[in-house]
Amino acid sequence: MNWKLIFSRNTRHLRILVLLVVAGGGGAFFVRSQMIPADYGQNGPYRHAALAKIEAQPSVLQSDTTCLKCHTNVEEERSESPHAAVRCLHCHGNGKQHIVDATKAGEFPEHSIPPAKKWDGKFRTHTDLFITHDRATCLSCHTRVVGMPDSFLSINVAAHLEEQGAEEINSKNVCFECHEGHSPGL
Amino acid sequence: MKFQLNILNNGGDCCGSDDSREKQCGNHTGCGGCSDAPDASSRRQFLNKASTVALGSFSLTLLPMSGDLLSDEPSPDDPDGAPADAGSRTADQSDEVVYGFLVDTERCVGTGKCLTACREENNVPEGYARTWVERFVHYKDGTVQVDLVPETGFAGSDVPPIAPGLVDRAYFVPKLCNQCEDAPCNQVCPVHAAFTSPEGVELVDPDRCIGCAYCVQACPYGVRFINPETGNADKCTWCYHRIKRNETPACVEACPVDARVFGRLDDPESELRKRLAAIPTSVLKEHLGTHPKLHYVAKSGEVI
Repeated sequence: MNWKLIFSRNTRHLRILVLLVVAGGGGAFFVRSQMIPADYGQNGPYRHAALAKIEAQPSVLQSDTTCLKCHTNVEEERSESPHAAVRCLHCHGNGKQHIVDATKAGEFPEHSIPPAKKWDGKFRTHTDLFITHDRATCLSCHTRVVGMPDSFLSINVAAHLEEQGAEEINSKNVCFECHEGHSPGL
Repeated sequence: MKFQLNILNNGGDCCGSDDSREKQCGNHTGCGGCSDAPDASSRRQFLNKASTVALGSFSLTLLPMSGDLLSDEPSPDDPDGAPADAGSRTADQSDEVVYGFLVDTERCVGTGKCLTACREENNVPEGYARTWVERFVHYKDGTVQVDLVPETGFAGSDVPPIAPGLVDRAYFVPKLCNQCEDAPCNQVCPVHAAFTSPEGVELVDPDRCIGCAYCVQACPYGVRFINPETGNADKCTWCYHRIKRNETPACVEACPVDARVFGRLDDPESELRKRLAAIPTSVLKEHLGTHPKLHYVAKSGEVI
């Protein structure tokens, strides 16, 4: 074999081809290394930092354990009642600011907890705390609607009030004449 | 390289290896004296094969490195690779957390409190939803009507009233992400922004997503959408940020009748596993082979 041939005039096109392959391949590797994030593929085929970013999202909804730290009597009242599965936030709102105030009041006794706001009658906006003596909160679940399971205690309001002989039919807290919110005896 | 040199050698044998002979020829194609035809064809063959090798090696550089595939997580692109080391993989992952979800259509009362909770928790824009509740009404005349439960938080508001006498049976069906084991949405993502967390939760990388909406089309359950505020694909994550802090997802927290049960599939003592073992459950669109981790109690055939 004659090595001179490799560098002869005949092989000029081949040398160009080899050069293009090497340069193109190297360029492709470079572009690829620039486009793939550094932490890609640590745990699997994804960017590892994305997990931490998604985990860092703050929790908005409060859980009952936060409320029951102070309101200890409610847990007892509720545990044996049909409302055992009902959470605080269903009737009292999310109460995020209330928890901030209560935490501050625990540390500094001079800080007073502001009273609960009046409910505007909408669940979509009730992110803060309110005291519920409003039949709308009861009826938001207990109104009879087609599709509810038969085992769920739901009523037709007018019929129920008439049946029970309620006096102030239009009163907001008419439910609480007979029922107690935390343990509604039936 | 050996191949290339052999070809060159053949060419040399044909046309002669000395320069004088080549000069006589003038140019290479008009090499009349020597056998020209085999030379031209072998060069053509060589160029064919060389360009194949060149293109092949070039395209190899565009493939992921083998290191990317050597991960603990089973690659969603490569279901065939699973059986080979399936045994060792399950053994390795025995201490890992896998989450599951159970929806009880016999308990749901359709107040829609879960919908508000999800929107507040995850800042979902109006007009889009990560979870929703459908009402199936089977009329006595055989027709089935499907309503969407509104997000007012009040039972029965904004849905057309139906006379109970006309209805055979009716029930509410909450819908959310099925967190499939073989998720079609994950497989189609062109930038690896759709991925599976180590706990088996399908997530979207917010910095990586390009909003092409391919995954939105791929999802057989319709749980994905393009968030108009971020431009990214958005979906139910089973509140990944909450469950990592040992809290329950927002919709589970907000359900007053325990129709939604969240728990660990890997823990035999969890409430989820006990309920799954005790009652017959089914999944949505089982024939698609997506293996959802969202199970339904008492799901009728009409629910898809």
